[in-house]
Amino acid sequence: MARIELINLNKSFGAVQAVRNLNFTIEDGEFVVFVGPSGCGKTTTLRMIAGFEDPNSGEIRIDGRVVNDLEPRDRDIGMVFQSHALFPHKNVAQNIEFGLRMKKVSPEERVKRVREVAEMMRISHLLDKMPGQCSGGESQRVALARTLVTNPSTFLLDEPLSSLDAKLRRELRAECDRLHQELKRTFIFVTHDQEEAMTLADRIVVMRDGEIVQVGSPMEIYADPVNYFVADFFGSPSMNLVPGEFVRTGDGLRFRSASFDIALPARFETVSPGKGTLGIRPEHVRIDPGAEDCVHLTVRLIEPLGKDTLLYFDVPGDRAFVAVREGLHMTDVRIGQPMAINLDAHCIHLFDGEGRRIAVPRVA
Amino acid sequence: MTMTKSRRRRATTIIRYAVLSIWAVIAFFPIYWMVSTSFKPSTQWFSWPPIYFPDPPTLSNYMNVWLGAEEYDQAQYAISSQKPLISMWNSTVIATTSTFLSVLFGSMLAYGVSRYRILSEARMFQLLMLRMIPPIVVVAPLSLYYSALGLLDTRIGLILVYFLTTLPYAVWMTKSFIDEVPREIEQAAEILGASRWRIIFEIILPLIRSGLVATFLFILILTWSEYLLALIITKTQVSTLPIELSKYQGSTEGRVYGRQAALAVGITVPLMIVGLVIRKHLARGFSFGMVRR
Repeated sequence: MARIELINLNKSFGAVQAVRNLNFTIEDGEFVVFVGPSGCGKTTTLRMIAGFEDPNSGEIRIDGRVVNDLEPRDRDIGMVFQSHALFPHKNVAQNIEFGLRMKKVSPEERVKRVREVAEMMRISHLLDKMPGQCSGGESQRVALARTLVTNPSTFLLDEPLSSLDAKLRRELRAECDRLHQELKRTFIFVTHDQEEAMTLADRIVVMRDGEIVQVGSPMEIYADPVNYFVADFFGSPSMNLVPGEFVRTGDGLRFRSASFDIALPARFETVSPGKGTLGIRPEHVRIDPGAEDCVHLTVRLIEPLGKDTLLYFDVPGDRAFVAVREGLHMTDVRIGQPMAINLDAHCIHLFDGEGRRIAVPRVA
Repeated sequence: MTMTKSRRRRATTIIRYAVLSIWAVIAFFPIYWMVSTSFKPSTQWFSWPPIYFPDPPTLSNYMNVWLGAEEYDQAQYAISSQKPLISMWNSTVIATTSTFLSVLFGSMLAYGVSRYRILSEARMFQLLMLRMIPPIVVVAPLSLYYSALGLLDTRIGLILVYFLTTLPYAVWMTKSFIDEVPREIEQAAEILGASRWRIIFEIILPLIRSGLVATFLFILILTWSEYLLALIITKTQVSTLPIELSKYQGSTEGRVYGRQAALAVGITVPLMIVGLVIRKHLARGFSFGMVRR
């Protein structure tokens, strides 16, 4: 059991306020991912939960008990570090056994549990090796095993996969997911990788400048970002964000920019005219010469990714406008060719001048 | 005429090695002379032109100095009130004990500085400044204190003063090694339930053992060959090897160079053996980076 409550947490390092008035509750058994760009306070938050940093103010409660004054070892948590942090002078078995030894578990019991955990993490063949002889992926499995063996009620994972290559990262991501399913423990995972967050989390906590920007399930965050920042951060390729103006005309509200002039759906009727941003995910950009209200853009780059093909269009400003098409059907498209595109009206996002979502109930 | 690149490179190499060889000869000559003299019979100690290779080589100087053999003569007796073997024992006990204490306490202090900043940069520098005080300055107060405390002419007295005077080096050197150990390794141990002491003795110190060995040897060399403080603190009961050696310099019964050289060789060899035994650690200790990040 571990329900973790963060109440009015504040932490600053000198003049830098790393975490600002943070309030959040992590339910027992939940897989929560803290995500955000570097310096957003996600790691500091994790380290405060672990007990390596003391908050300047606020409370951390685990199962209702305030743990601010408890040492890390008394909080019943396990932590996996970005650098693996294996003990270089101990072999893999000794590394895994360390936590059990600290808990004064009998030698026979230790051997048994080390063997079980090694089997679970598929590292039985590594037990006699030194950490220096293990590959990055193996080291991270050992680090997970070392945490696992002490059976903590909460797992803290601080960017555990960021030092691995893409394939291993996917593999270990699946491993983390499996562990969470099997152990039914609370997992708190910190990453700057939105894809990791999307695939692992029950709930995602998006942080920026020491504050929580949005909390929600991966789909909520993806489909309904609260502001420009979240919209931009999630998704690969990321959302197309076109700066422009909302203008009221005789036949309703329109969005205008250097390359766009389109009518906005009726659900945005109440939006007040002025500067703003239109957002549309690449998969919601249609290439459809027949449609009314289409926009003509010039193809700048074609990126065939195998499963999908990305089309980059020229628009003023430093961001390209991207459309994604399934498969490799775009082979007849040439760079420099003008194309008629059209936006899926249901999936348009609008953000006001400050980057806030213009909240209007979506029509189904 | 221009030289080709490879010829120019070869010429540079030749010049470089020539200069280095000359320098090596100059640097090593005194050591060679010491070793050579230690094997010379007494007739060749002063001979002119100098004799470079003892003819015939003899062990009598060594027998005399180290074993007090049959040739034990008047001059030798007057010089030393104590057999060099006893001094060797004193030196060994005093140097190793004080070095051990210095490295042990120095590394713990360094841990505090590295992890908890118990000393600021300025304080750390002041610590090193202590070493810049010429020892002769502290000699008078030290001997006063020591006579009051009954520490004059005792091993404990010398151990204590060596321990304290080398502590700054130990702190500085071991701190640089501890700084190299990633905090995360320590925190991993901490969250797994290790106490502070256990982290120091089971994680930190084993990880920097090469650095500790290098520090140990460095300080051992200092204490093993320390002369001035030993001269002040020791009288008749406790004498160390450098003191013993110096007595030959002041000898009025004639210069017994061969025996002096034999004693000097005996002082040098143990340190060289220690250095050879731990050379693997030395190379690693002085090049850091043994902890994989």
